[in-house]
Amino acid sequence: MIAQAVLSVLLAGVLLHGWTQMRRSPLVAWLSMAAAIVGLYLVWAPSHTTELAAVLGIGRGADLILYLWVCISLNLLLSLHLKLRAQQETVTKLARHIALANAVVRAEHGQAVMDTAPPTVPQLPGGADTPTRMRGQTA
Amino acid sequence: MHSTASESIWVVCPAFNEARTLSGVLSGLTAQGYRVVVVDDGSRDSTRQIAESVAAAVVSHPVNLGQGAALATGIAFALARGADYLVTFDSDGQHRVPDIARLIAALKASGADYALGSRFLAGKQRMPLLRKMLLRAATAFTALSTGLRLTDTHNGLRAMTRRGAAALDLRQNRMAHASEILAEIARSGLAYVEVPVTIDYTEYSLAKGQRASDALTILLDLFARKLHR
Repeated sequence: MIAQAVLSVLLAGVLLHGWTQMRRSPLVAWLSMAAAIVGLYLVWAPSHTTELAAVLGIGRGADLILYLWVCISLNLLLSLHLKLRAQQETVTKLARHIALANAVVRAEHGQAVMDTAPPTVPQLPGGADTPTRMRGQTA
Repeated sequence: MHSTASESIWVVCPAFNEARTLSGVLSGLTAQGYRVVVVDDGSRDSTRQIAESVAAAVVSHPVNLGQGAALATGIAFALARGADYLVTFDSDGQHRVPDIARLIAALKASGADYALGSRFLAGKQRMPLLRKMLLRAATAFTALSTGLRLTDTHNGLRAMTRRGAAALDLRQNRMAHASEILAEIARSGLAYVEVPVTIDYTEYSLAKGQRASDALTILLDLFARKLHR
């Protein structure tokens, strides 16, 4: 009974977590919630695992649980991977802002497009019309 | 002369540790009057110094993010500078400068928003067999996933109008960016043309280029993008 209570609380946590992930990644959310619901069912009806395992062609109930656990782990890995990608996108945006804010631009590139003179023009950081320039930053 | 005074063409050159070839590539471009923005993608060699001495503009990622991210940064910069036409041009010396004029001319003649370089339209192209097979597979994949009928899906030489560039939402930082650009072109619904260009394969560009084993990574990246947000 104690094990059932503890497991129920944990699985309820997984269920809630899956629900909160619905907007970020529906796939991960649905997989998590399905795993949690199946888990809850099996925690409260352990005798069903053996029957269910037999139906699925798995020898023992314990094996069924093991396989389910593997599936849940893979799902967690996928979830982590997607979070890392989201982080990477944030880093990219940040780096892009920094790069654009610190652009090194020649004083005048508009005129003399055929000009092949050596680059003696002083280099000025940034451009006033670069929209990503941070406010209050001095060149 | 490739541009009139009223329109501006910006060439975006993503560069990661390209000190060996960058100088030659940039002088070829500036000699033809193109405004070049080099996106230094966190290079550890003298790429940035070389770029700053030749290019009209240099933007530098503080860390290495990948070629896709570099292209997106360069495009954002060129748009902010009021570019009318944008060209993507690899820094490893595999593209030919005269091809740019043909891409821009194709944009103007067709009214399309994207002109994509194709090494297969020009007829025979000398290249390693494995690379050829891989590119064919990529072409088939693109047709299946985006509906675009192209002869060459992984060519770094492209030209686009301001409207075309602004329509791209690029999030693939690394290898999958070429496929992503095509997917975004398909999504935009804007017109595109293919233009024959020549790729000069050198040992250097082949060594820096993608490998066959990268194809799987690209497929996984494209799939992953569909899974979140």
